[in-house]
Amino acid sequence: MIVRPVQVSDLPALMTLVQQAGPGFTTLPANEDRLAHRVRWAQRAFAEQVERADADYLFVLEDDEQRVIGVSALAGAVGLREPWYNYRVGLTVSSAPDLGIQRQIPTLFLNNELTGQSELCSLFLRHDQRHGSNGRLLSLGRLLFVAEFPHLFGEKMIAELRGSADEQGCSPFWDSLGRHFFQMDFSHADHLSGLGNKAFIAELMPRQPLYTCLLTEQAQAVIGQAHPNTEPALKILQSEGFAHKGYIDIFDGGPVIEAPIRSIRTVRDSLELTLSIGTPDDQAPLWLIHNRRLENCRITVAPGRRVGSSLVIDRLTAKRLQLQPGNSVRAVPLPNQQQQAVAA
Amino acid sequence: MLVLRPVEPNDLPQLQQLARDSLVGVTSLPDDSERLSEKIAASCASFDSDVAAQGPENYFFVLEDLDTRRLVGCSEILATAGFNEPFYSLRNRHFTSASRELNIEHGVPALSLCHDLSGHTLLRGFHIDAALVRTPFSELLSRARLLFIAAHAPRFAEAVITEIVGYSDEQGHSPFWDALGKHFFDLPYVEAERLCGLQSRTFLAELMPQYPIYVPMLPQAAQDCIGRIHPDGQEAFDILEREGFETNSYIDLFDAGPTLYARTANIRSIALSQTAKVQEEPLIDARGRYLVSNDALHGFRAVVAELDFQPGQPLALDPALCAALNVRAGGTIRVIAL
Repeated sequence: MIVRPVQVSDLPALMTLVQQAGPGFTTLPANEDRLAHRVRWAQRAFAEQVERADADYLFVLEDDEQRVIGVSALAGAVGLREPWYNYRVGLTVSSAPDLGIQRQIPTLFLNNELTGQSELCSLFLRHDQRHGSNGRLLSLGRLLFVAEFPHLFGEKMIAELRGSADEQGCSPFWDSLGRHFFQMDFSHADHLSGLGNKAFIAELMPRQPLYTCLLTEQAQAVIGQAHPNTEPALKILQSEGFAHKGYIDIFDGGPVIEAPIRSIRTVRDSLELTLSIGTPDDQAPLWLIHNRRLENCRITVAPGRRVGSSLVIDRLTAKRLQLQPGNSVRAVPLPNQQQQAVAA
Repeated sequence: MLVLRPVEPNDLPQLQQLARDSLVGVTSLPDDSERLSEKIAASCASFDSDVAAQGPENYFFVLEDLDTRRLVGCSEILATAGFNEPFYSLRNRHFTSASRELNIEHGVPALSLCHDLSGHTLLRGFHIDAALVRTPFSELLSRARLLFIAAHAPRFAEAVITEIVGYSDEQGHSPFWDALGKHFFDLPYVEAERLCGLQSRTFLAELMPQYPIYVPMLPQAAQDCIGRIHPDGQEAFDILEREGFETNSYIDLFDAGPTLYARTANIRSIALSQTAKVQEEPLIDARGRYLVSNDALHGFRAVVAELDFQPGQPLALDPALCAALNVRAGGTIRVIAL
């Protein structure tokens, strides 16, 4: 099992995968032209032919039979080509001590404050592959890539988690807010957003702050709440140091979680080690290992034994990484948890 | 006979009874003797003042039954809204959402706190005894203010406004207040209006939302209150609407009652009222019902009378009317058909 950059030859497999993900997966719509365009851009990004503003690092998870079973991505920067909007959940205080009045009213402030930060996005793992360390490899592999190439990214890494919605895909937050300004249902807006119209839609929203007390109770209740389907992804990122600092999605109210790149566990704790081939013991811990290459990037999870500045792994793992003994790797122990990232 | 005159210090006890009976939303009439005596004193000073231009004056009138010495109504003119403290309203305007790329454009009404009505003359504090509702005397109580403005135009602005009490139910619940103001105060509507009367209304307004409120985000019951009149405020509205006042995009920030607006010079009782010289003699043949006022300042009086009025001719008034209006033969009075 490896994570590697997407290639044009992956397109048919990718299309099948994206179709399985369904319409809620708006950043990778099941549209061949758009998908092909994105794959070509990703290849240029891995070849360092694009500016950070346009960099879209699209990875696939491939099993040993060369089947694509998952996808995940990293955006070099958000908001540098078109505005990136969030609400920040702030506070308005209405106070008149003489009258015993002291009201705290959470208030949504439209902002572009995350402009220039890097984003984790477009993660999907095939349903029948959600076991073992697959989810962690697909999600955290990206972070090890960031650890190796920090100059390609911003100061912070963010991830927008899908907000709460009912089984029909209706979002109470949207129904109480966005709908009034667009007169379209959430799935339609979400679809337009996936087609790259998100900034246009955002520009229809009111610029003035909004008092949450004027939203429906259902909408207030889902502010900053992730969709239950994203809980596993959320847990993985939380254990990496990601936290919700008050930014939410302007459409569905889902949380934006963030972490300064230098303090992300995988980035902070990763080590440059020399690859050595051998037999790790049966109890050897799992390591997330990167071959330190950009265009020919390979990342995998395997048992490893650290000896001084060397990491002892088996021959097959070295082969997966396309490395020889004596090559340098970047590696970090894989957190010992069973969460499966399935969508983020 | 019922006569409208400026309030006097010894009117306080009766005035307080009127205040007690008045509609909750008439916040310029607090049921509080201290506040009322301040208002009386301020009014006396206003009538006595020798001003050449509009300022902070507040002219407070009462309607008195000369036979019983009972006060049966009151009304006020604030020369300048927002003179001493900001005058707040909610402006109801469309916020336009437009995207050329998506070919979408539509407007969303939004309420914004504003001071746009500052500087206008404000009619307020209208309250009449329930027995006199929809009689010529409520016309007198409301419109005599306009005759006063006609007689003393330099003391007033070029536009006159009034806020009509908005809808609340019989239990005193205002759906608009419950949807908006309550979030910022955590007080029932009645209590908020009471505080407005006692404390400064501005003080409370400053606790209100400073950012626009998008109307579709309010519950339907609250949306339905926008511009809706309290049943007991309907007459005050109707009288001024007949005078040429119109509603506009401004509403009250507590109960969403409508604001009425008119250019002073276009108000019917101001544009069409005429002055005449008094002839003190018995009335022979009344031809119509009129509102009649003298053009005095602190001696201002106004009554409803049956008259034989011919434009440009001296007007015959019987001695009782002359006494009520405090005029003599040769004096000037102002007349407008009821």
